[in-house]
Amino acid sequence: MKLTVIGTGPGGYVASIAAAKLGAKVTVIEESEVGGTCLNRGCIPTKALAESSAILSKVRKLEDYGIKINGKITPDIAKIIERKNRIINSQIKGIKTLFESWGIILKEGRGRIRSPVEVEVILKDGSKEVIKTDKIIIATGSRPAELPDAPFDSKRIISSNDALNLRDIPKSLLIIGAGVIGCEFASIYKELGSEVTIVETLQRALATEDIEISGLLEKEFKKKNIRLYTNTKIKKIEIKDNKVHAILHDKKKITTDKALICGGREFNSNDIGIEEVGINKGKSGEIMVNEKMETNVPGVYAIGDVTGRVLLAHVASAQGIIAARNIMGRDECMNYDAIPSAIFTSPEIASVGLREYQAEDRGIKVRTGYFQFRSLGRAHIMGEINGFIKIVSEDSTDRILGMHIIGPHASDLIHEGVLAIKKGLRTKDIAETIHAHPTLSEGLMEAAKDVFHEAIHVPKL
Amino acid sequence: MNPDELKYHKEHIWVKVSGRKATIGITDHAQNALGDIVYIDLPEVDIDVESNSEIGEIESTKTTSSLISPITGRIIEVNEDLSETPEIINEDPYGKGWIAILEIEDKSELEDLMDSSEYEKYAEEESR
Repeated sequence: MKLTVIGTGPGGYVASIAAAKLGAKVTVIEESEVGGTCLNRGCIPTKALAESSAILSKVRKLEDYGIKINGKITPDIAKIIERKNRIINSQIKGIKTLFESWGIILKEGRGRIRSPVEVEVILKDGSKEVIKTDKIIIATGSRPAELPDAPFDSKRIISSNDALNLRDIPKSLLIIGAGVIGCEFASIYKELGSEVTIVETLQRALATEDIEISGLLEKEFKKKNIRLYTNTKIKKIEIKDNKVHAILHDKKKITTDKALICGGREFNSNDIGIEEVGINKGKSGEIMVNEKMETNVPGVYAIGDVTGRVLLAHVASAQGIIAARNIMGRDECMNYDAIPSAIFTSPEIASVGLREYQAEDRGIKVRTGYFQFRSLGRAHIMGEINGFIKIVSEDSTDRILGMHIIGPHASDLIHEGVLAIKKGLRTKDIAETIHAHPTLSEGLMEAAKDVFHEAIHVPKL
Repeated sequence: MNPDELKYHKEHIWVKVSGRKATIGITDHAQNALGDIVYIDLPEVDIDVESNSEIGEIESTKTTSSLISPITGRIIEVNEDLSETPEIINEDPYGKGWIAILEIEDKSELEDLMDSSEYEKYAEEESR
């Protein structure tokens, strides 16, 4: 079986390895850097920056922990970015080593489908090469969307890509869009010293999360003096005297050094031969696939962001594995029921399954359990007491439908909930499982107990 | 313990009336139950609030608690000192730890509030 994969992001590289492990002869094509958005312009670099800013926040509170610092604490953005790049490079090397060890051939250039059995690569030196193949996986990903009247210039109007490589910390930063990316950058740059203003057209920050999660994040932003205007549209944005001037629909003016546009992502489905081969695209340019990750053209699969299903690295990887296994003769379907998401704001956020409002919208009668980190000894030891764990369960069956966490290590804690939902567990199962003390995980047990008003560390109402 | 000249709301809020103005804060009983207060989300000035509605939030090391308006009216001043040093509420709940001043919309609402001895009994029963 000869397989050609276009794109080496968390979809493409994982699919390549999964297929090679099952015996496929894999060629993988990458136009820019191995690792795709996730490794070079997304998950990994943002978390590297978030880590530097989290360390800075902690160091600023060292005296609370009984440690004295003699001297000034200042972030060095050049060094922060250098560290981030080191992490990226070591991860790129890791992927390339995996490719080599599984005999996967990497072609650096732009891939273009000529037919379901032919992919052309335009190599970096301009020369062309045609690869004969049996199957194709398209894993070309997505890119930041521009605002029509404020195109990226990498200086004043910047994208999330640019925000990962700034030479100076902007004195003031306007972030347009309070979604995941906007909120993460707000937390990072505020801690590094920028004055941050966020403008969001929807009613609340992180509008798809549970309402209480948004509420707490908004409160934490307020505590940190991050200004957030929700339900607000930008009427006009222009650059004058080297500054960004934004006029809101209520005529309020905001002037900042830079504007970071975090208004969604566009699919990389143009100029890769999709139209020529007759692959169906959706309204926004996403490639249409079924649960087996097949497009309408036999032998051609698509995975990851470009399919427009769930734009998360770990979903791309899961889809990649399904596609690879189906190509190698299995018959597997993608299941989207228990997918965790993690948002690396300060405090961190993670969720899985139904939000309370979604359950209500679907007419499901639910119960909720709620537990605050500040009731846990471990949270006090860590000096991170803000946040809570919320469990949503079906009233009639006690089955766990959703788990929503805001607070320290939310992104690690969530997986108990992911497994619970995947396996159809009840809140009782978590409530009756002994959790080690003193840990943050105790909060999961207490939140589960709270569904029955049986949490121990909650004062009498 | 609880000053006699004040009136009290069941959400453990005290009210000090002076003409059409009402200063509010949380009671000693409330600050005791909350423990060390680490943050208060103050209401905005110049907004209209209704009695029994949430106008802010108090965070202590143990818990978070809604701040409930005891009366209907307009917030005309908030105690900005609390943003930096919320622990004043623990130290002096009836004095420097005041939270906001409201312009009273309907004075008859004050009749629904408790006096100090009624509140003392209420708080005692609640904590039982």
